[in-house]
Amino acid sequence: MQVLERNNVKVSGNPAGRPLVFAHGFGCSQEMWRLVAPAFERDHLVVLFDHVGAGGSDLRAYDRSKYDSLHGYADDLLQILETLDLEDAVYVGHSVSAMVGVLAATNDPRRFGALVLVGPSPRYIDDDLGYRGGFSQADIDGLLDALDANYLGWSSDLAPVIMGNPDQPQLGEELTASFCSVDPAIARHFARVTFTSDNRDDLKAVVTPTLILQCTDDVIAPREVGDYVHREIPGSRMVVLAATGHCPNLSSPGEVIEAIEDFLR
Amino acid sequence: MTTASMEPPTTGAPDAAGIESSFEDLYEHAPCGHMSTAPDGTILRVNSTFLEWTGYSADQLVGTPFGDLLTPGGRIFAETRYLPVLRLEGAVKEVALPVRRADGSILPTLVNSVFVEQSGGAVQLIRSAIFDATSRQDYERELLAARRMAETSEERLRALQRASAAFIASGSVDAFAEALGASMRDAFEASAAAVFLVDESGTLELVAGTPPEAVVDAAPEGEHDGTPEAEALRSGRVLVWSRSRILESHPTYAAGMKRARIETVIATPLLSGAGASGVVLCSFGRERAFDGRTVELYEALARQASEALARIRLQARLERMALYDQLTGLANRQLLKARLGEVLASAQREGVPTALIVVDLDGFKAVNDRLGHVAGDSVLREVAARLATAIRPGDLAGRFGGDEFLVICEGAGTQAAAAIADRLRGEIGVAIPGIPEDLPISASIGVAVHDGAGSAPVTADRLFVAADSAMFASKHGGRDLTTVVAV
Repeated sequence: MQVLERNNVKVSGNPAGRPLVFAHGFGCSQEMWRLVAPAFERDHLVVLFDHVGAGGSDLRAYDRSKYDSLHGYADDLLQILETLDLEDAVYVGHSVSAMVGVLAATNDPRRFGALVLVGPSPRYIDDDLGYRGGFSQADIDGLLDALDANYLGWSSDLAPVIMGNPDQPQLGEELTASFCSVDPAIARHFARVTFTSDNRDDLKAVVTPTLILQCTDDVIAPREVGDYVHREIPGSRMVVLAATGHCPNLSSPGEVIEAIEDFLR
Repeated sequence: MTTASMEPPTTGAPDAAGIESSFEDLYEHAPCGHMSTAPDGTILRVNSTFLEWTGYSADQLVGTPFGDLLTPGGRIFAETRYLPVLRLEGAVKEVALPVRRADGSILPTLVNSVFVEQSGGAVQLIRSAIFDATSRQDYERELLAARRMAETSEERLRALQRASAAFIASGSVDAFAEALGASMRDAFEASAAAVFLVDESGTLELVAGTPPEAVVDAAPEGEHDGTPEAEALRSGRVLVWSRSRILESHPTYAAGMKRARIETVIATPLLSGAGASGVVLCSFGRERAFDGRTVELYEALARQASEALARIRLQARLERMALYDQLTGLANRQLLKARLGEVLASAQREGVPTALIVVDLDGFKAVNDRLGHVAGDSVLREVAARLATAIRPGDLAGRFGGDEFLVICEGAGTQAAAAIADRLRGEIGVAIPGIPEDLPISASIGVAVHDGAGSAPVTADRLFVAADSAMFASKHGGRDLTTVVAV
């Protein structure tokens, strides 16, 4: 299996610069970094990739056993760093990929120079002992329902039926080829893995210098969770962005770029 | 847009045409909800249709985030999928979002949104048209439920069929254990599966796959106490251990799981009529819960596996019976013949010697005549046990019939063979417990050695005839003797 093809790895920017590796979260693909990554191409080697199951990755590589936990994604990340032979890499992970980076960097910190965690959450579901992740198990089941409601019409065998055009299957195909494309069955599994994982214990083990970018009013990763991550990762820094919502890389790219530049300065 | 196109329709009732001249009314009472929000989702304006559908007043909604109207699950979807795509593409169509009405009930909607910039980018907002998708949702729910049901039972059936085919193809216990581990891993998307079988002494032995490191750490060498497989074996029930829940009850095991990056293990006993014959341990990289249907599938697979295991073990026993002497457990005549043929062929190729030793007991008939067959059988068993321990590793000892035994020694020349034969004679000559001293047992031994290097090939039959004649020479020479001949 060719690692770079499997993960649709795209390398650009300054080959002599310190490498910056951007990872997308649940729901989209490397497109998420479209407004941020180019700003670093002058001074950095910029690496973008898709997790297996998303964007332009090789769907044949989706092994449900391997990707039944975030460790499978973390292993892929380590392979990408290894294949590109990156040293002192700055890893920028959004949403669930923040934790993918934490797992990879605690498993094998050698190639990591810094971690930038954008909207991280080590556990989305509240526990009985006072931890507030922001969601209940029922909420996560509701997300799976929402995925079903949205992806049902996308799946290749049912799309033409839903569209009422069984003679024109290309209508369905256009839908599935849309932006940030994800395979419905994989999206469902990825959602389950993402939102039921609990990686709180791994934060303490991080030895890589870490920056946490916390948005204002982010329901997916609330401030309380950002504070928790900040507290648990030894020596980490946290910057609270004025950006609202869960995707500052799209809604407020300038602020994200500035915060990363400040951190690396 | 030209002035003419903004004229009200010229057909239809005059009253209706008059009403449709009001764009305000068209917006407010359109057959779909309309909403404008700021880029961060704050509601700026919403039409009457949406307010009627949801039971809110405009005051309640304007100034609040649209996301607050969604169910939590719907909101995650909106934040991770709907908004990013809207930002990247400038528009999204037919996104299904569940809206919470004022009374708490859910309105399934389909939303089309566009991102608009006005006044040269100074004003940015999102415009959305919202459709009531109740009937579509109901229809899809049914479709989806039916499909999931079909998929689940199909998956289930397929997993059982695949496992069954793999078990049938397994000719040995090891191959079976490999197939069982692989079937369980695939069926349950486990990161690893390990198969333990109960050995003859009643303890669990790892036969296939890799268990979590924890197993090795938590238990003293060779023991499995305090492990999920041991408890599943004891209780005969499927057992699930989550790392976070066993921190206090099994701290060592929990620490081992952590090191192995495992959050959950499930141990499934292989139950047969006589009790549990083994355990399959599946491990997972995240905390997993298993519903009743899933546990049933574990049990079904395990049932199938224990039946297959019983069949494979029976087959192995039958094969053993066909090749081994039932009384002494040594090789029988068939196995001896087959083995001697193999050894001679390879000795010829490699140019190494082969020795065949024929052992005939002296005094055995007297034991049988005076003490009976039961005592005779015990003598044969004792002699067989002594032969088995006195030969070299790699030699094969067998019972040829009656009180005659054979030993095949690959690579043994005249001196080595004579030494082995004398050792056997010495062992057999030691008094056998329970047999009176006036009924001594000894051995008359004949050894035939084929040089292998440079000599003409010899058949198994010829080697046997030569060894048998040598044995008779020992008998006639006064018993308790070794005679060696070269062939």
